Amino acid sequence: MRIMLLVAPLALVACVKGNPVDLGEFVGEGGTYHVDDCDYDVTTRYGAEMPKPGQPIFGADPTPRLVHLGIMGDPKTSVVAQWRTGDEVTRASQIRFAKGADLAEADLTETREGIEFAYDSTGAVAPRMHQAHLCGLEPGTEYSYQVGGTDITGRTSFSPVYTFHTAPDVVAHPDAEVVFGFVGDSRGGYDVWNMLVSQLESRNPDLILFSGDMVTIGLTQYEWEDFFTRAERLFARVPFVSAHGNHEVNAVNYYAQVAMPGDQENFGFDYGFAHVTVGNDTPDDISKLAGEFKSKIDADMTKSEAARWKLFMHHQPMFSASTRHGPSATLQDAWLSTVDKHHVDLVLNGHDHDYEVSKPMINKLVQASSDNATVFVVAGGAGAELYDNGTDYWTLYSEKTYSAAIINVRRDQMTLSAFRQDGTGIPQGFSKTKP
Amino acid sequence: MIRALLVIVACTAIASADPEADADAAFRAAGALAAKSDPAAITAFEALGEARPITRWTDDAWAEAARLSENARDYARARRDYRQVVALGTDPRLVARAKGALARIEELGGERWDAVRATHERLASVINGGDDPHDALQALADLVRANPQYPRANLARLTIAMGWEAEGESTSALAWYREGAESAAAEPGQHVRLEYVRALVRAGELDDAERALAALDPALVDQGGARQAAETLATAHRRRAIRYAIAIVIVLLVAGGVIVARREAGGWPAVGKIFARPSTEAWFLAPLAILLALVALPGNPLVARAVRWIGVAGVGTAWLSGALLEAARTRGPLRARRMIVHVVLVIGVVGAAAYLVVDGIGLLGLLEETWRGGPALE
Repeated sequence: MRIMLLVAPLALVACVKGNPVDLGEFVGEGGTYHVDDCDYDVTTRYGAEMPKPGQPIFGADPTPRLVHLGIMGDPKTSVVAQWRTGDEVTRASQIRFAKGADLAEADLTETREGIEFAYDSTGAVAPRMHQAHLCGLEPGTEYSYQVGGTDITGRTSFSPVYTFHTAPDVVAHPDAEVVFGFVGDSRGGYDVWNMLVSQLESRNPDLILFSGDMVTIGLTQYEWEDFFTRAERLFARVPFVSAHGNHEVNAVNYYAQVAMPGDQENFGFDYGFAHVTVGNDTPDDISKLAGEFKSKIDADMTKSEAARWKLFMHHQPMFSASTRHGPSATLQDAWLSTVDKHHVDLVLNGHDHDYEVSKPMINKLVQASSDNATVFVVAGGAGAELYDNGTDYWTLYSEKTYSAAIINVRRDQMTLSAFRQDGTGIPQGFSKTKP
Repeated sequence: MIRALLVIVACTAIASADPEADADAAFRAAGALAAKSDPAAITAFEALGEARPITRWTDDAWAEAARLSENARDYARARRDYRQVVALGTDPRLVARAKGALARIEELGGERWDAVRATHERLASVINGGDDPHDALQALADLVRANPQYPRANLARLTIAMGWEAEGESTSALAWYREGAESAAAEPGQHVRLEYVRALVRAGELDDAERALAALDPALVDQGGARQAAETLATAHRRRAIRYAIAIVIVLLVAGGVIVARREAGGWPAVGKIFARPSTEAWFLAPLAILLALVALPGNPLVARAVRWIGVAGVGTAWLSGALLEAARTRGPLRARRMIVHVVLVIGVVGAAAYLVVDGIGLLGLLEETWRGGPALE
């Protein structure tokens, strides 16, 4: 019996350990896994394996890397930690955590099992993602955590300890301020992206909103590694949410590496006094823009009608005066009426690699006041080659520059302050108060 | 009057029986001032921060005052107000942000550089703000020369370089890029030096770009940025080779056409006479080209420029083509084989000219992006 107990795990290791999944033979058809603790489903797309619980198996290098946080549930009480390992074989998937900031490893008293799945990509082997979902957390609270796993022999491999915090409960804390970092279009210019990550880090945001085009071609895995490597020091502490950009090309790599609510394309969530709606303006079928996607966006905004502040992030701007892409009449036709109907305060875009702030607008017309009107901000300068800026009748300010922005949201006021890659401030932002 | 009332509310409201409610009202009043970019907002927030008893709004008031002071480039005041947030220590998030901001401000060497930094920020805003940047570019250049030890001097050089580039002053721009690159040899990430490489590629100085790329410190440079710069340079080399080859083909075809026309027309004066007046084909195509240019005008500016210049190339080619056919007809009816060769060559010239236009105005990158990332929504 004792021999059996020893041999069985070794047989299991021998069975699973070995070569990573050869992409030549890899067929991922996607699938759904129900996370009991959180009572939601994790669904992977065609091109990825069905998510499954981790197993106590290590490959040659089980060191966790590219750690980044996401949200799928209520950010007041939940978070998703995601990571890869040095090899693509390791199946062990765990998170250790405890309440408190900057705790020592020994103080991480709670453990949760994670899930993992491989996905199709460029390269010789299938990259493997690990996720750990934490729910039932306390609002406005700091937690320390590390991710990694334990193999069948008891060997462990964990990341350094990071600290994150949950979104505040604004009913209990009406003075709560939340800070969003807003940035987009890093593709190719990773030296600039690295500088902007440092700038964002020094501003201690609660959440990063990325408006798309992290990479030049969504299927190219090495570019994703460029992106996440430079962002890890920020993304391991601050969750990030992204809109799908045209360069992500609806690749499975994008959906596999970025955990987000709902279908990961069109969704919304509350964070502090803000409700953030995210839309995919590059669907696989363009007719979805004015159909299914518009309905989803409208439904999300209707559901959150009572939100104090409404933000809408998608990639391609409805209003841009850049000489490269410029405004999108297609998107105006598809989505502008929804934006106007729900009195969205701020629309966040990228795609044009410059920085622009519009005057307050309703139905393509400039308004004297921002009450009930929408301001459109383009900040597509996270590293991609800059485009020439321009001006049009809606333009309040435009500049050809690398940039990111910080959005401070309080109960009665929302401000946006932008800065260049060197940290110098861009003079024109956005500020609005509500009685 | 309203402003004065708001300041009074912000400064005195906390003296009543419900300090929390009054502080809440004072915070709102100060926020309303801030939304109007009124400098009195900082005073109003500071007054609320100093008021006692401490309320839930006290640390928030200091944080807002500090943030507004930093945005107003009053770094001494920002420092003082951020320190108040840290000293109060009532909200870990606000404390973390205040500490981050203090580190960000001190990163540049502390109070020593406050004045230089404020001037740098102000001038950078003027240079990038859309007004005439020439005076600001000169002033920033003077600032950099006077303060070579300023921690952001290399980034200021980059601002100057990009400012001159935006003004179309390529020589001045490249000189500043080069000065920045030389001064930033030990810079982690090598951002300024990578920008120099990119600027040289944009300016078509590909050999210099090769040298600048080779000069990057492999131990310091951001590998992803360097790889992308190398790819951009390789693409520029490839496109330049194609451009030269196409230009040579066009010149040879046009020259060959003119020589054939001379032979068929019987001498240079006859050729000159035929070429002097627009052909029927040119008269036919010109209004179509104008119409297409007008239709394209409200759309993407790059596409509009391309349509305009392709139209010009098309009309020019039609003029030349018509003249050649007219010269050929002076020797009798045209044979089918000659017509087919003529049409193929004309299509080739128009295609080659269109490529040169698309490449020349930068539309090739947009087409490549469309190929890679799908069509942009127009």
